[in-house]
Amino acid sequence: MTRHIRNGINAGIIFGIVTIFLFMIGFTTTISDLLGQLLRNGSSIAVMGFTPGIFDLLVFLFFIGMWAGISGAKKTPDKIDTWGTVLLSSGIAGLLHGILVGGLALLVGSLLQAGVTMTVYFAQLLPDAIHLFLIGLNATSAGSFYVIFFLITGLIGGVVARTIRYGSWRQNLTAWSKNKWQAFTAWPQYQRIRHNKLNLFVVYGLLILIVFLLPQVLGQYWNYTVGTVGIYVLLGLGLNIVVGLAGMLDLGYVAFFAIGAYTVALLTAPAPHHLMWNFWVTVPIGILLAAFAGIVLGIPVLRLRGDYLAIVTLGFGQIIAVLLHSDELTAFTGGPRGVAAVGGPSLFGISLGTPEGFVYLILLAVILVIFVTIRLRNSRVGRAWEAIREDETVARAMGINTWSHKLLAFAIGASFAGLGGVIFASRNQFTGPEDYNLMVSFNVLASVIVGGMGSIPGVIGGAFTLKGLPEVLRELENYRVLAFGALLVVMMLIRPEGLLPTSRRKMEIKELHDPDGKEAGETPGGKS
Amino acid sequence: MPMLEVSDVHTYYGNIHALNGISISVEKGEIVTLIGGNGAGKTTTLRSIVGLLKPRQGHIVLDGEDLTQYKTHEIVNKGVAMVPEGRGIFARLTVTENLDMGAYSRKDQKGIQQDLDRVYTIFPRLKERRTQVGGTLSGGEQQMLAIGRALMTHPRLMLLDEPSMGLAPLLVESIFETIRSINKEGTTVLLVEQNALMALSIADRGYVVQTGRIVLQDKAAALRKNEMVRKAYLGEE
Ligand SMILES: Nc1ncnc2c1ncn2[C@@H]1O[C@H](COP(=O)(O)OP(=O)(O)OP(=O)(O)O)[C@@H](O)[C@H]1O
Ligand SMILES: [Mg+2]
Repeated sequence: MTRHIRNGINAGIIFGIVTIFLFMIGFTTTISDLLGQLLRNGSSIAVMGFTPGIFDLLVFLFFIGMWAGISGAKKTPDKIDTWGTVLLSSGIAGLLHGILVGGLALLVGSLLQAGVTMTVYFAQLLPDAIHLFLIGLNATSAGSFYVIFFLITGLIGGVVARTIRYGSWRQNLTAWSKNKWQAFTAWPQYQRIRHNKLNLFVVYGLLILIVFLLPQVLGQYWNYTVGTVGIYVLLGLGLNIVVGLAGMLDLGYVAFFAIGAYTVALLTAPAPHHLMWNFWVTVPIGILLAAFAGIVLGIPVLRLRGDYLAIVTLGFGQIIAVLLHSDELTAFTGGPRGVAAVGGPSLFGISLGTPEGFVYLILLAVILVIFVTIRLRNSRVGRAWEAIREDETVARAMGINTWSHKLLAFAIGASFAGLGGVIFASRNQFTGPEDYNLMVSFNVLASVIVGGMGSIPGVIGGAFTLKGLPEVLRELENYRVLAFGALLVVMMLIRPEGLLPTSRRKMEIKELHDPDGKEAGETPGGKS
Repeated sequence: MPMLEVSDVHTYYGNIHALNGISISVEKGEIVTLIGGNGAGKTTTLRSIVGLLKPRQGHIVLDGEDLTQYKTHEIVNKGVAMVPEGRGIFARLTVTENLDMGAYSRKDQKGIQQDLDRVYTIFPRLKERRTQVGGTLSGGEQQMLAIGRALMTHPRLMLLDEPSMGLAPLLVESIFETIRSINKEGTTVLLVEQNALMALSIADRGYVVQTGRIVLQDKAAALRKNEMVRKAYLGEE
């Protein structure tokens, strides 16, 4: 019981702080605009009696509130989780969440009514943003509204948590899809290609050949698209190290991408610094700076796990975005207008800054990164990551320095993103704060998950699905995020190991599902 | 001088005072057992020794060196291996890969190979199943793997946390037989058990823990005759 209460309190306080933080940095406004675009194509017709902006905000806060409830209702390994205790935890989480956010609403609402300008202290606390936050009510009513709102959403989160974690429908669905998949892999043609080294060799060889001839036949538009996919593959492979190999959830990954991009931009562009360095010099600098940022972020967050790690890294991504948007820093970062005329690569006086040139450059980078990933995965470091992902405590008891290895994962993951950022900004010949929003982190994470965590072909496939497919299906642009959201949920339910899982994951799933390996009489090893 | 000297150790989980001044000592070559009921603090003691938990007070000295200043991976490298409660097998890794993890911080390829051969000699069953993933092994096989993996660190001192948990009586006996022979080959053993009868039958000395304190200590044979131990832990009248 006390454990359940404690979980609830922890989640309530953390989420209270997070929601307040999101509001203070203007994130709530941004996301409700974004949701407005996605859900309603930006139309301004009232929805269910709410002013559109307010409706969008509430949709967003609904999910945050639910997440708080889910987080509060976490499983307590050695205690019994009944409906009662789950609802208790999530209710407490929701209530605290509501009290904190409601308190803030009361505070800023009263200050606003008293005519105090808060933008002096917090640039994002514009009267409009506050009105939105107060959802058209006065300070007291908005305060009480949030208490009740988050209590209810928290409880809904509890119900969701309980249903998902204990429901039997999930096993049924999983078993069904397993069967289908097994039927497919048992298909003789598939088996033959899969298990014959020569066949595989030919298939891979052809693939590589096609990939290298492709830029010549593709037009400018498709080269651009392929390039974008390639950059997402770089990002995906980097995040794959953090999430897939070392098992840490990083939602602020876009920050490292931005660091790479701004490194090349600020060093090669004529403004704001007029440094005009050579592109190639900036590549290692961008990579190193991103890796360094990975370490700087890694040191304080490494003790966190799960949800909390995700939230703090999310905050880090937002901080970078806020800094890039900042007017004050225009002289240094180019401010909201970004940096134009970013330099491109050239070799022996020949510019590679053409769409085809960039496709080759990106392919080269992807191959390099794949090579590094494979080498790392099969090294001592890779084994340490594997152990950490499996069971951190036991990993420590095996003599593994978990702290330094997690930090290394952060740094290497970040460095891949840095490389991606350098190429990205240089190819666009421009970089601006809008390019580095939260959606990038989510898209990359989605490509890692869709593809099957830890698997390289999976990440590549995921990036194609996520960045390539929408280009093919342009019409669906506006619904892309929603569709992928839905797709992701379905994926996690029916193929938790991803589209193209690592062989290890497949093996595990397979063996867990045909338990004939169990034997009757246990006769232990040969002593007696 | 004892090999391991734990003196007046106090360990907390937040504000829960789990160890209330534990003192034990283990001589080189001994098997020492720590018995006690649920929640007595046995696991906490082992976790404190390997540095997974930091004592707030007290000292843990291994061959003259205070371990409390070191991190877990450094302590493991000084020759302390742990077979954790519930075995802690890496479920997705094969038997061989699990054993390899035990040798993680070693560089002497020859020594590693020798130890691997030794583990496979002690547990032929593991050799048969070396490509099977840990999660699909039976409980008994998992326990063998946990012990084998600890042996792969080539320890001077091996800490075992309830190796008998969840195993059939016959299997328990043979696991204990194995522990005894590992000890005979030169590894000092600190064994935590709820199965007091088995533990005392192979141990040289024993300590009884209750609510974070040592309440009794003696030679194993003497403890077996002790009135209180018989009542509380051997289930006799
Ligand atoms: N992670 C934890 N957080 C809070 N309290 C804990 C934690 N782990 C153990 N405790 C508490 O510390 C005390 C000692 O626990 P410990 O696990 O050392 O007992 P034990 O003797 O190993 O018991 P068992 O034989 O059941 O394994 C218990 O009261 C337990 O509830
Ligand atoms: Mg225990």
